[in-house]
Amino acid sequence: MTEPLLHIDDITVHYSRLAAIRGVSISVNEGEIVCVVGPNGAGKSTTLLTVSGILNPTSGNVMFAGNRINGMRPENVARLGISQVPEGRHVFTALTVEENLRVGAAMRKDKAQVNKDVKWVMDLFPILAERRRQSAGKLSGGEQQMLVIARALLTNPKIMTIDEPSLGLAPNIVDRVYEVLTTLRKERGLTLLIVEQSSERALKAADRIYVLRSGQIQLEGSAADLQDGEEVRKAYFGFSEGTEHLGEVEF
Amino acid sequence: MRDLLNNKNFRWALAAVIVVVGIIVAVTDPVRFQILITSLSEGSFYALAALGIGLLFGVLRLVNFAYGDWVMLGGYALIVPSAAVTSTLLIGSFFPALVVICIVGFTIIIALLSEATVFRPLRNTTPPTMMIASFALGYVLQNLIIMIYGGRPKSAGIFPELLQSIDLAEGVSVPLLKIVTIGVTAILLILLTLFLHRTSVGVQMRAAAEDFRMARMLGVRANLVIAMAFVISGSLASFVSLLYVSQLGIMTFRMGTPIIVFAFIATVIGGMGSLVGSVVGGMVVGVSSVVLKNILPDSIRGFSDAFVFAIVIAILLARPQGLVPAKSASERV
Ligand SMILES: Nc1ncnc2c1ncn2[C@@H]1O[C@H](COP(=O)(O)OP(=O)(O)OP(=O)(O)O)[C@@H](O)[C@H]1O
Ligand SMILES: [Mg+2]
Repeated sequence: MTEPLLHIDDITVHYSRLAAIRGVSISVNEGEIVCVVGPNGAGKSTTLLTVSGILNPTSGNVMFAGNRINGMRPENVARLGISQVPEGRHVFTALTVEENLRVGAAMRKDKAQVNKDVKWVMDLFPILAERRRQSAGKLSGGEQQMLVIARALLTNPKIMTIDEPSLGLAPNIVDRVYEVLTTLRKERGLTLLIVEQSSERALKAADRIYVLRSGQIQLEGSAADLQDGEEVRKAYFGFSEGTEHLGEVEF
Repeated sequence: MRDLLNNKNFRWALAAVIVVVGIIVAVTDPVRFQILITSLSEGSFYALAALGIGLLFGVLRLVNFAYGDWVMLGGYALIVPSAAVTSTLLIGSFFPALVVICIVGFTIIIALLSEATVFRPLRNTTPPTMMIASFALGYVLQNLIIMIYGGRPKSAGIFPELLQSIDLAEGVSVPLLKIVTIGVTAILLILLTLFLHRTSVGVQMRAAAEDFRMARMLGVRANLVIAMAFVISGSLASFVSLLYVSQLGIMTFRMGTPIIVFAFIATVIGGMGSLVGSVVGGMVVGVSSVVLKNILPDSIRGFSDAFVFAIVIAILLARPQGLVPAKSASERV
C-alpha cells in the first residue's frame, strides 16, 4: 500500500481549554475525493484549519507526502501544495477579480504557466473573464465561490481542501461547483478533501466518506459501501431509532 | 442628513463641489491664492504623516504612536550625535540627494528594528497591546535622544534655498518649500499607488490588509508583507522629517508628538486603514487649520486649533466610520 498524500494522524485541537476535535484521523490518497460530513459544530472547519497551519494540534500530527507539516506557517503549508478554500469564501473585496486570481498565483515562479493557468480558470468559469476588472465584492455568492476555487487552483495545489462549498448557494449553482470539482479530478488528477454538512452530494461525488460528530470520527467507509445512506444517517445523528421523524431533513 | 452622507456618490459630489468652489474662491484673489497654496502644503504634510500610520494600521491593525518618534529620529540623524549646545550637521551636510537617501535609509532601518524587536514578538496579541507597546517604544526612543543629544532644542538648517520665496503670479509669493511639499506628496502618492496596484507584492499587501489569514493560506508571506509595510511607513516618516526640519530648522525630542496627534486624527476622520481616507483626512486637517488661522478674527485666532478639533468632532458625529472607510473583512491571525 502506498502512503496517503495527506494523513491527518490522531489529532486533538483545543480552542483555549476546550477540545474542538479529539483523536481525529483522516487520510486522503493521491487522486481521491474524500468528503467529511458532519453537523454544525462537529469540528469540520477546525480540522481543515489545522491542516492549513492556522491552528496547531495539541497532540497528533498532520503528514503531507510523508512529512510532518503541523507547526509550519500557513504560507509554507500553502507553498507545499495544500490549498484551502475556507468556509465563508473570503474573497478580497477590495481587489478586482483578476487581482484575486493573481494573489493565488503570487508565490509561483513559473510565470508563463501562470498566464496559461489564468486563462484556463477563466475558461472554466467564464463569468470570471467577464468580470475580471470588476471589484470582487460585487460578485454574487455563487460567483464568489467560483472565484475562490479558481484562486485556490492558481496556487497549483497538489491537494485542495474545501470547507462547505454549497453553503448558501442555490442548488443549480452547487451542481455546477461539484461538476467542476469532479472534472478537475478527472482531467488534472487533483486530490480533494471536501467538508460538507449535507451528505447527499458528498456521497455522490466522493470516493470515501468520513462522518464527524462532536469532534470525533464516527464512521468511515467507501462511498459505494455507504450508498444507501442509512449508516451515515445513524453516525451523523448519533442515534439509530426514530429516523423516520427526520424525514424532512435534507441530506 | 446622515443618510445622504452615507451615499457614496453624494459624498464624492460634495467633495468635488467643495474643491471646485475652494479653487474658484482662491484664484480670484492673490491673498486667498497664497492661503490655498499654504493650506494644500499643510494638508500634504499631514497626508504623508497619516499615510504612514494608516498603512501600518491597514496591514497589521497596529496603531503606531512611535511613528512621530521615527520622524524625530530622522531629524536628529541630520546632526552629529553630541550634547553640545551648538549642533553640527552630519548627514545634513551632504549634498541634497544624498541627504534624502541617507535619511530615508536611516528611518527605514529604525522602522525595521522597531518591527523586529517590539512588534513582531507582539504580532499575535491584541491591537490594544500593540498600541501600548508603540507608546512605550516612543518613550524609549525619546529618552535615547535625550541621553545622546541632551534635552535642549537642536538647530539643523538644511536646504536653506527652500525657504526662499518664489512668485507664482502677480502678487502671489510663497516659499519654495510649500510647492516642494505638495510636489513631494503628489509624487510619493503616485509611487505608492503604482506599487500597491501594479506590483505583485503590492497586490499581496492589499489582500493581506483585507484578510491576512486568507492571504497566508494562498502562500502570501506574512513576514514579507509586514516588513514591506514597515519599510514604506518608515520612508514616509523620513519625508515628514525632512519637510519638518526644512521648515523649522529646529528639533526637539518631543517634536513627534504634535505631528502624530494631527496625523492620527487625520487617519481617524479619513477612515482607519483606508489609504485614500488617510490622504483625505490629512487634507481636511491641514487645510482647515490653515484656513481657520487666516479667516478667524484676530481675537480668537489663537484658538484656531480648537476650531479644527470642532470640525473633527462634527465629521465623526456624521460619519463615525470615517470619510472613506476601509474594507476589511476579518481580524488578522
Ligand atoms: N474560534 C473559536 N473559539 C472557540 N471555540 C471555537 C472556535 N471556533 C470553533 N469553536 C468550537 O469548536 C467546535 C467545532 O467548531 P467548527 O467550526 O470546527 O465546527 P464545524 O463542523 O465547522 O461547524 P459548521 O458546520 O457550523 O461550520 C464547536 O463547538 C465550536 O463552537
Ligand atoms: Mg465549519
